[in-house]
Amino acid sequence: MGAEGDSSEPKVGGEGEEAVAVNVRCSSGSKFTVRTSLNSTVEAFKALLAQNCDVPADQQRLIYKGRILKDDQTLLSYGLAADHTVHMVRGFAPAASTPPSVSPAPDSNTTPGVTRGVGSTEGAGLENTLLGSSLFPGLGLNPLGGGGGAGGAAGLFGAGLPEFEQVQQQLTQNPNMMREIMNMPAIQSLMNNPDLMRSLIMSNPQMREIIDRNPELAHILNDPGILRQTLEAARNPELMREMMRNTDRAMSNIESSPEGFNMLRRMYENVQEPFLNATTMTGNSGNDLGSNPFAALLGNQGGAQARDGSNTLSATGAQTTTGQAVPNTNPLPNPWSNNTGGGTQTNTARPNRAGDARAPPPSVAGLGGLGLPNMDQMLSGMPDATQMNQLLQNPAISQMMQSLLSNPQYMNQILSLNPQLRGMVDLNPQLREMMQNPELLRQLTNPETLQQMLTLQQSLQSQLNRQQSTQDSAQSGANTGTANNAGLELLMNMFGGLGAGGFAVPNNPDVPPEELYATQLSQLQEMGFFDTQENIRALRATSGNVHAAVERLLGNPGQ
Amino acid sequence: MSVYFPRNFRLLEELERGEKGIGDGTVSYGMDDGDDIYMRSWTGTIIGPHNTVHEGRIYQLKLFCDKDYPEKPPSVRFHSRVNMTCVNHETGVFDYVEIGSIALVEPKKFGLLANWQREYTMEDILTQLKKEMAAPHNRKLVQPPEGTYF
Repeated sequence: MGAEGDSSEPKVGGEGEEAVAVNVRCSSGSKFTVRTSLNSTVEAFKALLAQNCDVPADQQRLIYKGRILKDDQTLLSYGLAADHTVHMVRGFAPAASTPPSVSPAPDSNTTPGVTRGVGSTEGAGLENTLLGSSLFPGLGLNPLGGGGGAGGAAGLFGAGLPEFEQVQQQLTQNPNMMREIMNMPAIQSLMNNPDLMRSLIMSNPQMREIIDRNPELAHILNDPGILRQTLEAARNPELMREMMRNTDRAMSNIESSPEGFNMLRRMYENVQEPFLNATTMTGNSGNDLGSNPFAALLGNQGGAQARDGSNTLSATGAQTTTGQAVPNTNPLPNPWSNNTGGGTQTNTARPNRAGDARAPPPSVAGLGGLGLPNMDQMLSGMPDATQMNQLLQNPAISQMMQSLLSNPQYMNQILSLNPQLRGMVDLNPQLREMMQNPELLRQLTNPETLQQMLTLQQSLQSQLNRQQSTQDSAQSGANTGTANNAGLELLMNMFGGLGAGGFAVPNNPDVPPEELYATQLSQLQEMGFFDTQENIRALRATSGNVHAAVERLLGNPGQ
Repeated sequence: MSVYFPRNFRLLEELERGEKGIGDGTVSYGMDDGDDIYMRSWTGTIIGPHNTVHEGRIYQLKLFCDKDYPEKPPSVRFHSRVNMTCVNHETGVFDYVEIGSIALVEPKKFGLLANWQREYTMEDILTQLKKEMAAPHNRKLVQPPEGTYF
């Protein structure tokens, strides 16, 4: 070590002592090396570190050999030597500290968070470290968690065909559906493609404006890790709750510092509000909650609770979820007391079938939330009768069904939504009549009828396999059943068709794959994959991701 | 004597790992008193894992490696106050039985102290405890105020 110090570094830290290299390891997993004199005090050492990382000196907590280093001691007194490692944890700013300690945070956090992914835990880890302590995460997570994700998802679907806005709206109102979609491999590969995600987000003009105005947000959107994390959160309610909790904590910390409150307000005004606007407008609904999948996610568990939250602002959790533009002026609860944890958690963890049932008189979209995903999944997806039965016996479901079917307007909407269906209805005027016959609809909601329907559906399905056109099958179904049952089948078909339409968005099956993937195909050709059919298959499986397609073509479908 | 040499080698090795942050690197540990030729008394630090109530906290522990280390586990106790299912709230000392029973419940985790093997190191203990903090039964426990000690 002596040799190293002598030879390489004439410029020294302090009192003519030779400087030695000391490794610093951050709790995020990143690592860097500084040169310092061992005679310098811990305080001076912290100041040195502050130049090399984003943590201000007064927030640094250094640990060496299991001990927390005190400012007035020298490094030597702790036995620090060359090449030793000091751990750095970001603590909260001392309560007495004034704005300076707070204001640098937003600037400094963005860059290192994204660029310095040296460590082992990278994206997630970095994000999380920043989370607990700084301003930015509150910001980053809120819009991202609340809005960015919505924007991503909403943009994702909104970017497609205009008529799917409807579907999208329904999606956002049904968290299960959302989660399911998130779990679909096709979507996952989409999400893993940062370029695609970015372009989707950018295709929303409001989003783009926000990003233009807040360049630091662009970092978030450009970091696939964060995007993925956000979507992960959408899929995993547990994680979501955790993030929310962390954000709350960060918020409360900010708020407790003098300038912090104003900071928060600015944050809300600059980012949160436009973000929400952007997402709500894509969702095309006046209801914040509805168009925010995250709110919806939590809404499912919190049920009516979260819904109320948007008005009463009682819980902080609710506030972040619903993203009120006005900062919360209520004092935040003590994070250590049972209540806070409980507050948000009970809110979200309440097992809530009842929540669904208690939901306000179903709007059209709300109906769709249940009607579409659950129905079509049950009907076309699973031939498992027992599962179906369980669902049918769920009072909440049947109630939803009832309200769904008692609204003729909604029926019309469904009909007009699906071009295939529209054609079908045009060809069969009786069908439309049937759909609008309240008597029939009431019968539909009868669990027994539903079960019957299921059986029929199964037989129908086998027929469907044999027959080419939907219309034919519908007709043959009609022939086999009684008049009422024929109606049911048609209805089922309708749901099935609708569902297919909804799910098909990401795959765009209407466009011939050669056209859809023209650029990718030519790329693959250039790379030396000449089998067009094979290429198309690979591109389809990977939703047009050339990289993944190549992996696949090379016999590595796991990627 | 034959006991002491391996013990000292072993502890010296651990000391170096602790000082240089080799290995997992998420925990820190070192000797209390560099002059103690038996290297018995150690201090360890666990940085609270992310996404738990422990996040951002620093927990200090005292490890005492008696002369039969590493044949026998060191005694481990928390210096910082902590609320964990495997820690006795009065004294900060581990409840060996509980750690053992955790091992029974969750086969993936090993009750390090209960089923001690000489290959285990203090680093293992600390990292395992850190994992324990992130375990579902610990991650959300209400914690005593930071900076209080047993």
